[in-house]
Amino acid sequence: MSTSSKIDTPALLDVANVSKSFGSVEVLRSVSLQVARGEVVTVIGPSGSGKTTLLRCVNFLESYDSGSIRIDGKEVGFRDTGTRQRRSERDLAAMRAETGMVFQSFNLFPHLTAAGNIMLGLRKVRGKSSAEARSIAEHWLGRVGLAHKADSLPAELSGGQQQRVGIARAVAMGPKILLLDEITSALDPELVGEVLEVVRSLAEEGMTMVMVTHEMAFARDASSRIVFMADGGVSAAGPPAEILAADTDNERLRNFLARFRASHF
Amino acid sequence: MIGQIAYALPFLAQGLALTLWVSLLVVVFSLVAGVIMGVGLVYGPAPLRWVVRIFSDTIRGIPILVLIFFVYYGLPAVGLHLPSFWAAVLALTLFKTAQVIEYLRGAVGSIPKGQSEAAMAIGLTFRQRLAYVIFPQAFRRFLPPWINGVTDAVKGSALVSLLGITDLMQAINQVIGRTYEAMPLYILGALIYFAVNYALSLASRRLEKRFSFIRE
Repeated sequence: MSTSSKIDTPALLDVANVSKSFGSVEVLRSVSLQVARGEVVTVIGPSGSGKTTLLRCVNFLESYDSGSIRIDGKEVGFRDTGTRQRRSERDLAAMRAETGMVFQSFNLFPHLTAAGNIMLGLRKVRGKSSAEARSIAEHWLGRVGLAHKADSLPAELSGGQQQRVGIARAVAMGPKILLLDEITSALDPELVGEVLEVVRSLAEEGMTMVMVTHEMAFARDASSRIVFMADGGVSAAGPPAEILAADTDNERLRNFLARFRASHF
Repeated sequence: MIGQIAYALPFLAQGLALTLWVSLLVVVFSLVAGVIMGVGLVYGPAPLRWVVRIFSDTIRGIPILVLIFFVYYGLPAVGLHLPSFWAAVLALTLFKTAQVIEYLRGAVGSIPKGQSEAAMAIGLTFRQRLAYVIFPQAFRRFLPPWINGVTDAVKGSALVSLLGITDLMQAINQVIGRTYEAMPLYILGALIYFAVNYALSLASRRLEKRFSFIRE
């Protein structure tokens, strides 16, 4: 496999045998996934395959039943004692601040301006002064091409603009890893490009990312590795060329890609 | 008639002061208790949610007059003797608290789950999420029913006259007892209640306008 070069460096994100059920439905079946620093991993797969749930487990928006998820060697949701004792509210908050998350539905705070959305975490979690937080917010708004919208409320922004603020809000916190959950799925087609452009530039700067997406072209061009999930498990993983090859041995993957091509091209 | 009004006004002013004092205490106590219990109802562990749910449903199922008599005449049976003023304040506070719990539940419940999740994702603790993300948005929805409830508290406080407390209502009755002029005094009393509540709803409208910039 292509990951042989990374065996020596411990993974930044180490998901090991994570399982989770909602009632009697097993949404994650012993999922394992390692992501090295600077890697961009895209997760593809049919809906209901557990992609989003996996992502939500990584910053403990969802708990999981067994297995472990470590970021930089630290267990995410449970105490390091190995007893599966949930971390305290403070610890959890501190852990989550180390992972950025961008949501499908943007989830900007509607009562705060674009800059205010970015400043909130900087001020209350990172303890920055108002002036410092403002200048960091302006820097990141500039990076996503929205310097002129700093004082606009989310309702005054287009979907693409809102999502770019969402990305700025996440990266401004200086996370170790960025989680992107179908961030273009709620956007009009003509607005998808501007958002992916921002993601691409972050990838080029070495931001570690795990991205759940249906944008196959983007997955092909921008990711170092693609993970194909089906029925709650990792069905295939590897470099884009290998995974997206039309003649793959993996029947589920072949069917998924065939259906995908049929509906998108 | 002008003479009667001039005679009555100082009594009524004292009564009004007491009505406002009772209302203020009830509104403040019920706001604090109701918000705390409402947060318990929305976010608390199951046993706490049950306790609050049972409290709220029970209190809201009892006529306020029964509640007042129960606190004043009933509680002494279990050794709790409250002076009539505090018995009235307690009964009205219980009643109002149950309402505030429901206003809060409705207002907080109307905020999409994604807001909490986004707030979690940037590392805010539970209290910070409430203070900076949930409450500022819920406030706008909490305000209109709550102000309505405040005017209800002012009107409902007239019931304390039944415990012999000289509030505005009781003052009106006392003046009538001396002058035998019921109609002008009831009209005067109604106007005073109306003036207070109308001022409250004007204030509420201004507040609502101030917070209407939050769009979804």
